[in-house]
Amino acid sequence: MNSETLEKIKEECRKLPDDVSYIVGFVKKQGEPREVLKVLKPDEIDRLSYSPLSFNNPARIVMDLMKTDGKIAVIAKGCDARALKQLEKEEKIERNRLYIIGISCPGVIDYRKFRNAVKFRLPEIESVELVGDEVIVKANGEEQRIPFSEVIFENCLYCEQPTPKDYDVLIGEPREGKLDFSDIEEFEKLDREERWSYWMDVFSKCIRCHACRQVCPLCYCEECLVDPSNLAVSPMTPAEEKAAYPRVLGKTVSASDNMVYHLIRVLHHAGRCAGCGECERACPMELPLLKLERKLKKVVYEVFNYSPDEEIPFLSKLDILPEG
Amino acid sequence: MKVYAGNFLKDVVAKLLDDGYRVYAPVKEKNYHVFKAVENADEVDFDYINTKKSPKDVTFPENEVLIKYGEWVEEIPAQADKTAIVGIRPCDIQGLRLMDRVFLEDITDPYYEAKRKNLLVVGYACNEAGDYCFCTSVGLSPFKSNYADIIVTDLGDKQVVEIQSEKGEVVASKFNLSDASDEDISRKKELEQKVLSSFVRSVNTENLKERMAEVFNSDYWKEVAENCVSCGTCTYLCPTCFCFDIFDDGELKGVRIRAWDSCQFPLHTLESSSHNPRREKWQRLRNRFYDKFYYMLVRKGEFYCVGCGRCIAGCPVGIDIAEVINNIPSEVKQ
Repeated sequence: MNSETLEKIKEECRKLPDDVSYIVGFVKKQGEPREVLKVLKPDEIDRLSYSPLSFNNPARIVMDLMKTDGKIAVIAKGCDARALKQLEKEEKIERNRLYIIGISCPGVIDYRKFRNAVKFRLPEIESVELVGDEVIVKANGEEQRIPFSEVIFENCLYCEQPTPKDYDVLIGEPREGKLDFSDIEEFEKLDREERWSYWMDVFSKCIRCHACRQVCPLCYCEECLVDPSNLAVSPMTPAEEKAAYPRVLGKTVSASDNMVYHLIRVLHHAGRCAGCGECERACPMELPLLKLERKLKKVVYEVFNYSPDEEIPFLSKLDILPEG
Repeated sequence: MKVYAGNFLKDVVAKLLDDGYRVYAPVKEKNYHVFKAVENADEVDFDYINTKKSPKDVTFPENEVLIKYGEWVEEIPAQADKTAIVGIRPCDIQGLRLMDRVFLEDITDPYYEAKRKNLLVVGYACNEAGDYCFCTSVGLSPFKSNYADIIVTDLGDKQVVEIQSEKGEVVASKFNLSDASDEDISRKKELEQKVLSSFVRSVNTENLKERMAEVFNSDYWKEVAENCVSCGTCTYLCPTCFCFDIFDDGELKGVRIRAWDSCQFPLHTLESSSHNPRREKWQRLRNRFYDKFYYMLVRKGEFYCVGCGRCIAGCPVGIDIAEVINNIPSEVKQ
């Protein structure tokens, strides 16, 4: 199924308008079955690859490329397109410089689960195909079939928009998603003490590498509240002024300081999170960061009836809410 | 060479705890292992290839209080309890050795020294290479390290115990060890052959110093960094990354803390003049590879990469140190 998708991606890339200078897509990583993101020139289409292991979100790279001239083509799954839309609403991306090759996405594979489930060594694996509800892994002339449900990235189960809402061309038949907060509802049943000890345990494991923040396409602030003395200094800034700069949070890694970091981070995503799951995938300590994002999404949905798919930004919608 | 009929590693954890040691050993979290200070030998699980984080925080914690201050400055004496690390893999023992060279050669760091002096190292030879392992490429052995006090090889029904220091001798003397038979030795050799043949990854280190000297200004580094998100994962997981920052926490009363820092963070090199010599992420990422395979090679005469593969497994965007070094262009593209 994915080799078919790949052929269609290549076909669409060959038909791209002449003013496209870059293609942001996936190429196969050397020695491993997964794909990594890559900025390609239009004459490098043959390097493109695609599989359920093309899990990264290209929106961050697209935003970087906005600094260059020319049009950008991007291969985008449902969540990727949602992130692009959000960046467009926040004027970080010019839509007219973007050509979106949308992919109707059946969900991506969780690479950690995949590595546990697969019986081959990574460099041996020749192909990973999703056929129906099975993942077929081929290596050494052998074949291993893994049920997709065993290795699917959990967040994909709750995707409300697996087909991009906004695209220039769509590959694959549109898929239905649904708004589903059953995982969060289940978690909410725990009592206050249980939830507290759950999160304290989670935050005690955080090493504050800031991968979750860095990898998030929506965490684009150049200066972040949690970095030490990050406010702009110039050669003229006197020492007393520098010393007086506020420091919200240092590099202390206690569970409570880590909690402050994560809560600040997540609150800034209210009504913005695209649900791509890059934060949780990036976390080297495998912390359940999406639980926080999804809880917030649920609140925003229930209290403000807002979904990030709407055309206007969340904060501007707050302005037009009726009083009371 | 001695043998122990049973699980020496587990029994040594119990014995050391009894003797009042603080013992760090591999513990299984949900989906991975990490080194943790344990209270009971039953918490420990030695069925692992390598831990998620390197155990460098045993001697170089992520946060460390250096002084306390209020009306007066109160220095914290650099001291440490008797500590043991049990079940550490040979690559991480090399990591410890390389850290020792940073913190104890030339200028001695008293905080590190106190912890290091009181540390007993019980190594654990590998039984198989992971998909990201490449220690053999950087001149290491997956089952030998002269730097451990004791190194243990697991043969299944028994464990081979090699005592390599006086400290190790003192601990080992409390166990009922017998001399290894010819059969034990040949079984160990067989296992080692099996381990060596299980490596699937390698780094080409031939003339690496010269190759790296040539390509410093190449556009290759920009291409490598295209995907990089400038997080600190690679450096925080690395057993030999030692950069730190010192800051004061609290205005009139507080503590001076040393905390891990990462060369991948833009603020790491931001000078107070506002000049930043490594402003771009590709400069920062390039620095990491040069640090591991060039700068430290020039300064200390050895690679500062132990081939544990943690940075590859942990990188959120799939940057692979082995791939990056292997693909260094032979001719400089400007």
